[in-house]
Amino acid sequence: MQHFGVIGLLALRNLRRHLRRTLLTALAMLVGGALLMFSLSLGDGTHESWIDSGVRMGTGHVTIESPDFQVSRKIEDRLSADARAVVEDALREPGVAELITAVSAKMIVRGLASSAAGARPVQVLGVEPPEEAEFSTLDEQVVEGRYLEPGDGLAAYVGVDLVESLDLRLGSRLVLTAQDVDKEISGQLVRVVGVFRSGVPEIDQGLVHIPLETAAAWLGSGRDVTNVGVLVAESHDVPHLTAQLRTSLAEPIEEALIRVIGWREAMPELNAAVAIDDFGNYLVHGILFVIIGFGIVNTVLMSVLHRHREFGLLQALGLTPRQTGALVLVEGLVLTATSAVIAIGLGVFVTWYFWGEGLDLSSMMSHEMTFSGVVIDPVIIPLFRVARVVQALLFILMVGAVASIYPAIRAATIDVSESMKFER
Amino acid sequence: MTALTTPAVRTEALWKTFHQAVEEVHAVRDVSLVIEPGEFTALAGPSGSGKTTLLNLIGGLTRSTSGRVSVAGQELTTMSNRELAQLRLEKIGFVFQAYNLLPVLTAIENAEFPMLLQGVGLDDRRRRVRELFEKTGLAGLEDRRPGKLSGGQQQRVAVIRAVAGRPALVLADEPTANLDSVASEALLDVMDELNLALGVTFVFATHDSRVMERSRRLVRMVDGAVDSDETRR
Repeated sequence: MQHFGVIGLLALRNLRRHLRRTLLTALAMLVGGALLMFSLSLGDGTHESWIDSGVRMGTGHVTIESPDFQVSRKIEDRLSADARAVVEDALREPGVAELITAVSAKMIVRGLASSAAGARPVQVLGVEPPEEAEFSTLDEQVVEGRYLEPGDGLAAYVGVDLVESLDLRLGSRLVLTAQDVDKEISGQLVRVVGVFRSGVPEIDQGLVHIPLETAAAWLGSGRDVTNVGVLVAESHDVPHLTAQLRTSLAEPIEEALIRVIGWREAMPELNAAVAIDDFGNYLVHGILFVIIGFGIVNTVLMSVLHRHREFGLLQALGLTPRQTGALVLVEGLVLTATSAVIAIGLGVFVTWYFWGEGLDLSSMMSHEMTFSGVVIDPVIIPLFRVARVVQALLFILMVGAVASIYPAIRAATIDVSESMKFER
Repeated sequence: MTALTTPAVRTEALWKTFHQAVEEVHAVRDVSLVIEPGEFTALAGPSGSGKTTLLNLIGGLTRSTSGRVSVAGQELTTMSNRELAQLRLEKIGFVFQAYNLLPVLTAIENAEFPMLLQGVGLDDRRRRVRELFEKTGLAGLEDRRPGKLSGGQQQRVAVIRAVAGRPALVLADEPTANLDSVASEALLDVMDELNLALGVTFVFATHDSRVMERSRRLVRMVDGAVDSDETRR
């Protein structure tokens, strides 16, 4: 725009001229912007914690399985040994391997756990103990005994509620019954080597880990598995990894032998919970910034109303109405942009402050809270993302720009001859 | 043979009507006027006689109801707001009753403001303005903000601002109304000198007898119409 330098100079001088008004408006935006940044980081940290908890208890950030398995949950919808080998090769490819922090191949079957005291429906997971220990946090939640180890044969790692309902203890015998690959009902005797408490009632009541080799022998599945679960450092990387895997596994996907799904698809309840929480947060941010936006409108509009003659003069001297409006817009934007940058810096500082120890809300939670297989960690560690900084910055700038539009229109549409009258 | 010059201002059957509630007020009635380059003209008349409105019409600050007005040969009535702004920037300087300096700029920045918009380089701007500051007795006050200048000093800065960009025409609306007699005379001396030295055309709207006495053409207005038009000296 013509005369941009002049407009910029006048805008800066005008902001400095009304320093107190400028600082008060900037302060409101500063507090709002810092809150926005910190709250976004806190929200992201909370969601990352939920997702991490959910995917570790479940099938990973990304899971590779037979196309029908998610619905049928049947052993016949499994990955063959060949398909598993192709998948494992794909996970070792450059560009993919770097994103991955843990991989665990599992045989998941629904069955029945029985003891002398009774029987309970359970989900049995045949796992490679070292890989699963990397993958899941369940091995850290031992309340008695130990987690599975390499070389374990007829061992079972069971939840504390199942132990109670089947009257089990360490070393107790437990019979697992499920449909094998020949669609025959088959039983397997195992002994309890460890008991865990996850905090999620469904898991503590209904999950049994056994070695994958034991499961293979019991179910006749050889090297076949139902899932290969993959973990990444941040859930953020999931879309990229999923896309990469879908490309490198295009052939078996096309032949309907496997499918690659991210956690959002694999765990729709968790996805919905994150989306609802995000919506709530955005709503609160929106309301906060509508209030701040009115503050900016008020400040900029007051300034415009007090400067009618000045705008008239500028137009008499050769500025067009549009350039006069631009002056007001630039004032609003300079104020907003400066406040936004400082606010984001402040928000990032607060985020950094809580990054190490996290924000401990345990005093507000009387008991462990869970949903959809996720344990809510009372200590929230905010998560810093550059994309959030850009989003927050753009959002604040947008609020500033929108809030300055009406005052800018007022300035652009003044009656020049009226505004120059001395009596005014 | 005499060369034909383009008038600095030409109005033809110019009318400006304001609508107030149910009645119409004709602020300017059928004014036809030609002001040649280099003239030092006063539009005189009592309050409400239409002189300020006529000045605003000539300066393109307000639009006529009917008739035509041109400045330095350029017809204003058909111009867009953008074109009017450009015309004011290049051809017209304004001096207002209330000085109207921009409070955020220093005296010298105010004076060179139209040249800044015209894109005149810094050295050239400073040279022209400093010369005028010397000529008008303002040397040494260049870096003061308007609030730190007296009324007379502010009005002289406003005059420098109006003429420094070398416009074809300077329109001054009651420039001495807020000044005492000494400051008024000093200001008129400055404008007189600039008119003679630089050939700048001045048109004043005034009811100050001192301005009328110093003008070389006096157009009297009554009820929006030209009552008399007298060339003097």
